[in-house]
Amino acid sequence: MKKKQASLMRRGMQLLLLLLLSCQLFSQTRSVTGKVTDAKEGQPLESVSVRIKGASTATQTKADGSFSIQVPPTARYLEISSVGYEPQEVQIGSSKNLTISLISTLAELQDVVVVGYGTQKRKDVTSAVTTVKSEAFNQGGARNALDLIQGKVAGLAITRTGSSNPNSGVSVQLRGVTSITGSLSPLIVIDGIPGGNLDLLQQDDVESFDVLKDGSAAAIYGTRGNGGVILVTTKKGKAGAAQYDYSNYERREYMTRRPDFMTAADYRAKIADGTIAAQYGTGIYGYNTDFFDALINHDNLSQYHNFAASGGTANSNYRTSVYYNDFQGVALQNNRKQYGIRLNINQKGMNGKLTTQIDLTTNFNKANTLGGGGWENQLNRIPTLPIYNPDGTYYYYANTTNEFARLNMQSAKRGQQTSAGDVRVSYEIIKGLKASVFGSIQRDSYIDNSYAKLLSEVSINSYGGGGRADKSTTLNINYALEPTIEYRTIIKNNHTITLLGGYSYQYNVSENFSVTNYGFVNDLTNENNISIGSGLAAIPPPGIPRASIGSGKSDDKLIAFFGRVNYNFSDKYNLQLILRHEGSSRFGINNKWADFPAASVAWNLMKEKFMSKVTLFENLKLRAGVGVTGNSGIPNYQSLVTLGTGGAYLNPDGTWRQTYGPGNNPNPDLKWEKKTEVNIGIDFSMLHGRFGGSIDLYQRKTNDLLFNYSTQLPPFIQSTIYTNVGAIQNKGIELTLHGTLVKHRDFNWNMFATASTGSNKMVSFSNAVYSASFVEFGGIGGFGALGNAIRTVEGGNLGDFYGKRFAGFDAAGKWLFYKADGKTTANFSGITGSDLTVIGNGIPKYYVSWTNDITYKNFDFRLFFRGRFGYKILNTMDISYGNKIYLPNNVLKSAFGKNAQLNDTYQYSDYYLESGGFLKLDNATIGYRFKMNNSYIRSLRVYASGTNLLTITRYTGNDPDFVNDNGLGAGIDSRGPYPSTRQITIGVNVGF
Amino acid sequence: MKKNIKLFRCAVFALFVMCINSCTKLDETVYSSFITDNFYNNKTEVLSAVLRPYTHTNAWISSSGQVGYWRVNELAGDQLAWPVKGVDGQDNGNWIRLHYHSWIPDDPNIVWDPWRLMYTGIGYCNDPIANIGKQDIAKMGISQAEKDGFIAELKLLRAFYYLKLMDLYGNIPIVTQVGEPLSPPTATRAEVFKFIEKEIKDNIDKVPVLSPGLRGRFSKAGAYAMLAELYLNAEKWTGTQRWDDCVAACDALITGSAGSQVASGMALDPNINTTFSNTNGQTSKEIIFSIAYQNPDFRGNFNSDFFHFNQKFIYDGTFNGNNGIVLIPGVYDKYKSTDLRKSNWLLIGAQFYLASPTQPVLGFREYTGQQLVFVDNIRKNKTGSLVSDMTQGEENSGVRFNKYKPGKQSDARYFSNDWSVYRLTSIYFAKAEALMRKNNGVATPAAVDLINTCKQRAFAPADWITEAYTPATLTLNELLDERGREFIFEGVRRTDLIRFDKFVNTAWWDHTPSNDKTKELFPIPLRQIAVNTKLTQNPGY
Repeated sequence: MKKKQASLMRRGMQLLLLLLLSCQLFSQTRSVTGKVTDAKEGQPLESVSVRIKGASTATQTKADGSFSIQVPPTARYLEISSVGYEPQEVQIGSSKNLTISLISTLAELQDVVVVGYGTQKRKDVTSAVTTVKSEAFNQGGARNALDLIQGKVAGLAITRTGSSNPNSGVSVQLRGVTSITGSLSPLIVIDGIPGGNLDLLQQDDVESFDVLKDGSAAAIYGTRGNGGVILVTTKKGKAGAAQYDYSNYERREYMTRRPDFMTAADYRAKIADGTIAAQYGTGIYGYNTDFFDALINHDNLSQYHNFAASGGTANSNYRTSVYYNDFQGVALQNNRKQYGIRLNINQKGMNGKLTTQIDLTTNFNKANTLGGGGWENQLNRIPTLPIYNPDGTYYYYANTTNEFARLNMQSAKRGQQTSAGDVRVSYEIIKGLKASVFGSIQRDSYIDNSYAKLLSEVSINSYGGGGRADKSTTLNINYALEPTIEYRTIIKNNHTITLLGGYSYQYNVSENFSVTNYGFVNDLTNENNISIGSGLAAIPPPGIPRASIGSGKSDDKLIAFFGRVNYNFSDKYNLQLILRHEGSSRFGINNKWADFPAASVAWNLMKEKFMSKVTLFENLKLRAGVGVTGNSGIPNYQSLVTLGTGGAYLNPDGTWRQTYGPGNNPNPDLKWEKKTEVNIGIDFSMLHGRFGGSIDLYQRKTNDLLFNYSTQLPPFIQSTIYTNVGAIQNKGIELTLHGTLVKHRDFNWNMFATASTGSNKMVSFSNAVYSASFVEFGGIGGFGALGNAIRTVEGGNLGDFYGKRFAGFDAAGKWLFYKADGKTTANFSGITGSDLTVIGNGIPKYYVSWTNDITYKNFDFRLFFRGRFGYKILNTMDISYGNKIYLPNNVLKSAFGKNAQLNDTYQYSDYYLESGGFLKLDNATIGYRFKMNNSYIRSLRVYASGTNLLTITRYTGNDPDFVNDNGLGAGIDSRGPYPSTRQITIGVNVGF
Repeated sequence: MKKNIKLFRCAVFALFVMCINSCTKLDETVYSSFITDNFYNNKTEVLSAVLRPYTHTNAWISSSGQVGYWRVNELAGDQLAWPVKGVDGQDNGNWIRLHYHSWIPDDPNIVWDPWRLMYTGIGYCNDPIANIGKQDIAKMGISQAEKDGFIAELKLLRAFYYLKLMDLYGNIPIVTQVGEPLSPPTATRAEVFKFIEKEIKDNIDKVPVLSPGLRGRFSKAGAYAMLAELYLNAEKWTGTQRWDDCVAACDALITGSAGSQVASGMALDPNINTTFSNTNGQTSKEIIFSIAYQNPDFRGNFNSDFFHFNQKFIYDGTFNGNNGIVLIPGVYDKYKSTDLRKSNWLLIGAQFYLASPTQPVLGFREYTGQQLVFVDNIRKNKTGSLVSDMTQGEENSGVRFNKYKPGKQSDARYFSNDWSVYRLTSIYFAKAEALMRKNNGVATPAAVDLINTCKQRAFAPADWITEAYTPATLTLNELLDERGREFIFEGVRRTDLIRFDKFVNTAWWDHTPSNDKTKELFPIPLRQIAVNTKLTQNPGY
């Protein structure tokens, strides 16, 4: 009733107005026009729905993005929506002409992907390329740039076998093992510099990593593409106001998972119960020492500073950053200080036709490499021994080194400078045709200095108490020159063709020089006046070794011609063809050159008419590709017969001179290892971009594997020849998923997960000429000369542990093993080769990672989990030290615990293989972003981060995360690993 | 626009021309090593190639720390063993299998390594034989006689390699050129024997007699010693007795007609230690062929096999070892207490610092912190166990090697003892044995005389009276025992046991006889049969 009245009243009013005012000014509704464009690209959007909020009136935009709608005066908002874009509400207000830009939910499809010698839009990519941007980087402070993407790329295994040692790198492997003797690591390309040095990357200078995973993408880097390619793009300046950014963090590390050896108290208890003779508790054994702890730097504190200035205009931009880091390890005498600068300038000239990019960067670092080792020595030292003699000098005894004394009586330092410069000049000759020249130089030089004082243990034991001084220098220079020419044209609106051709010349040269001398009279000059040592005398004094000097130089060359064709039809179909013809000086005279072709296609299903009814997906793309890549990561001069030195022998003139004989068998046919890879993938995005991801299936086969195969001896001189014979096959599935679980003004929860699984098989190991029934990897080391743990047979899996099967202990505690029939048992001497079998596999079957990014108001949180599953680890520490036989030296408590029954010598069997699977809370970060309302500070974020917080595993040895999982000797723990640490980082990022 | 295209064309053309010239060259430049193509230009280079196989010979003929001829020929015998001693010596069961004669064709060390080392050395001989033969001698600055001498010397050394290979493996391929022929076939032991004999005889007169300048090299003397060994074992190896030929070869050396490495001429060393001292290269009269050493240029590595972890204190030196090879229990007692070889060549008992004679040398494993006392047994005395076998040793188990004494670190020729391969004593023994065997195994007065001349040096005159052999006491069995005492550690024991028919049918310590004659030869390594189908495996494997 009330409504009707109101309506009547309104009508009356309207009538009145109509009468009173001119009809041209007022009507019942008014017309509002506007234009809808894409927020990022700016192009007009067609068929966008424009609806008046709360009413049924609606219209659609025309081809030019324009619309016109009749709006009643009561209407306040327009609702704009389109598939693939975030819906928007626009306040009508009083304006008649609205400009609306919509944000694509598929923005990532427009992202630029670096693919080598150019870029592509994500939507046009036809192969498996993963991009990780700076927002997604791991937090907690990277020691190596690749730490930033550990666990972020499905199929890319990055492992810190040196734990958090600031002077250790990472082990990297993509999609399994592809070589036996060649390089397994991906090729790193930094802003176009092939073989880029990771020391030159600071975490705040990196914009993104693009990982070319399959052969159809990596073929453009043919020769070195077998391990995949990681393209690193550094940050650039942006047009607009000049900006400063400062980042800082401080980090502290705390030891976790300390190996469980007996403490002095435990040891004394074993003396008391008669297990250990009483003499090891008195006299010089009258102390209680924690040798392991003596090596720990409890006061460690690392700091990181990075200060960047950037800016630009429409035609030029720049960014420069300077940094200083002091990374301290959890070990004493184990740190790395570095500082450096990075500079990038981009400029356009000649009416935008000539563009120039210049990068200059340098890194100075000083590393103290003395500490960080010696753990095994300290763990097994008798804990009732002292560090010092009663008179205050260090206590030395023959069995194991006094590592604490070593840290104080010796020095080992590296001073390194790495620099790189590159220039890219491009000129657009006619529209669409662009010629570029890229040139780069990377120079890495370092000096190693070490000194052992006269009274150091090693000096007294081996150098006649005269000390030892070493100095060595190394210089590596890499040159690259790569002219390219690119032509891009659009034919009849629908056919986009891009052609790229290029030439690449790379030259690498390495030189080194080293000197060592002994026999100094005091410790005043250390290694800085090396000639005064008496090791240079014609006949050095008793006990003083002879001084030594050495130098070397080697070089290699890579030359390539390459081309790429990209064809796109209506954004529906994409085709990419690549051919690289490449030669390396490292191969035999008959096989220097090889061709690396690749082809890949992609099909954007959602652009098809028959999919127009499907509303679940916004993007659904199928990809398929095949590509051939190679591996030139072998040592130089392998195809030539070089004469090896055989030691000095007496010449007729009474002089002792070096002798020479052929050091290897010749192989003029030495050629590339070649990998052919097939990759099939799907990229999808659904529910307005809230969920998305990709799935990739690959199968790769590496042929012509290089290995030192058994040759006929006689007639050849050496028993092996480095030649191409076998084949490895890898298969796997990779899954990447991202999703927005909660999306709210104040609360957002984004998730990102990766998972991968793969298998690695040794397909063949023989051909008509060479054969090998098996190859062994993974030396066990330690006591007992137990040989190799891993045996790879033709047709078998890589990484198979091969050995005896444990059947129990006899009454006397002696080992019993199963014979081949599985029923009868025998002691060691009754076990023959035929009783050995596959007893496990050391290569993880599954890798997973799970990132949660949560924001609540100005807070941001991250929880990052990482895990590896489905593999075994050989607990080598337990083999050597979980055994009473090593008493009276210190042993693991397991010698009296789970191995208490054992009363025998060392044996390798599945007894020591343990499940290695783990799930780790690798990082938890909480940050707060301040709202900045002043003109001085643009942004401010503070954060706290914890790394390596929790590990769930059944493995009883050391942290399984730090056990090497790459290569052919995976899954073998260390007897004295660098301690695992838990790390707390507090940091700040300021923009002004 | 036009200008641009022109410019571009020019640039492409220039690039193209540049590329043709230099941008596709992939030659390798070797900076830090030699390649064969630019070697052999002068006499020093030639010598460095001629001498290469000698330093390699060191690896397998001496106790070098490698698994070579020396190690398998000793550890398969009845004098030496490398038992497991606590945490040490397990070594993949290698030494246990050697002791038990239970090696198999794909044994990676004890079967394959000696083959690999010796055939590689044959390659080191074949390579310069061919290369020196090809070169223009005028360019190298050597005379035709020198060139012929080098080639003859290398052929003799190669014959020595084949002699020792034949001893271990019997039927083996004969190859005289690098890389040719591919897949060389197995030659029978008789064929190999014939080849060796011919090579020695063809070259013996092309090399000079032994002189101080030829220390450590194959000379006429070395060639005769090789012939003596070849003929002494001829019956065992080919079924044909060659006793007279053996005696003739021995006589060439005994009479001194083949020269000597010292100016005074070839003779037995009167003192049992001279032959093994660190000045033996300068003072030993009886060394016929040795590997020459001079620390630190090149030195013997016997410390690795024999020395204890703290041994350097015992002799005031600088090198320790792996506490490996020791005397089998009972061997020590084969020496009379008056035998100087027992007290001089063997090490037993409590150990003290040489530089500080009252300071005990301490143990390293079970005897950490306690004095090291070497004992004539292999068992766990620490726990009171009486079980004695290859797995039950401790760090102080077994009597030790002391034949070569490196001297103190302050000695002028510290650790410079040459490793004797052939010495006149072994020639005396060979001749005596040939005479006995020719005489149906019964000693002749001449044989007794030869052995007594050698043995007498090991006894003080007062003790000698009761020790001299007579034709009645010098039986073949006694000769084998005396050989054991005299040539212990010299890498000949397995060969001796085989020649005396005692290798496969005799028990010693932890060794039970296999009574399997095929064990007298090692198998051909399986990994070679796998790549060369023309190789035939030895019977029994």
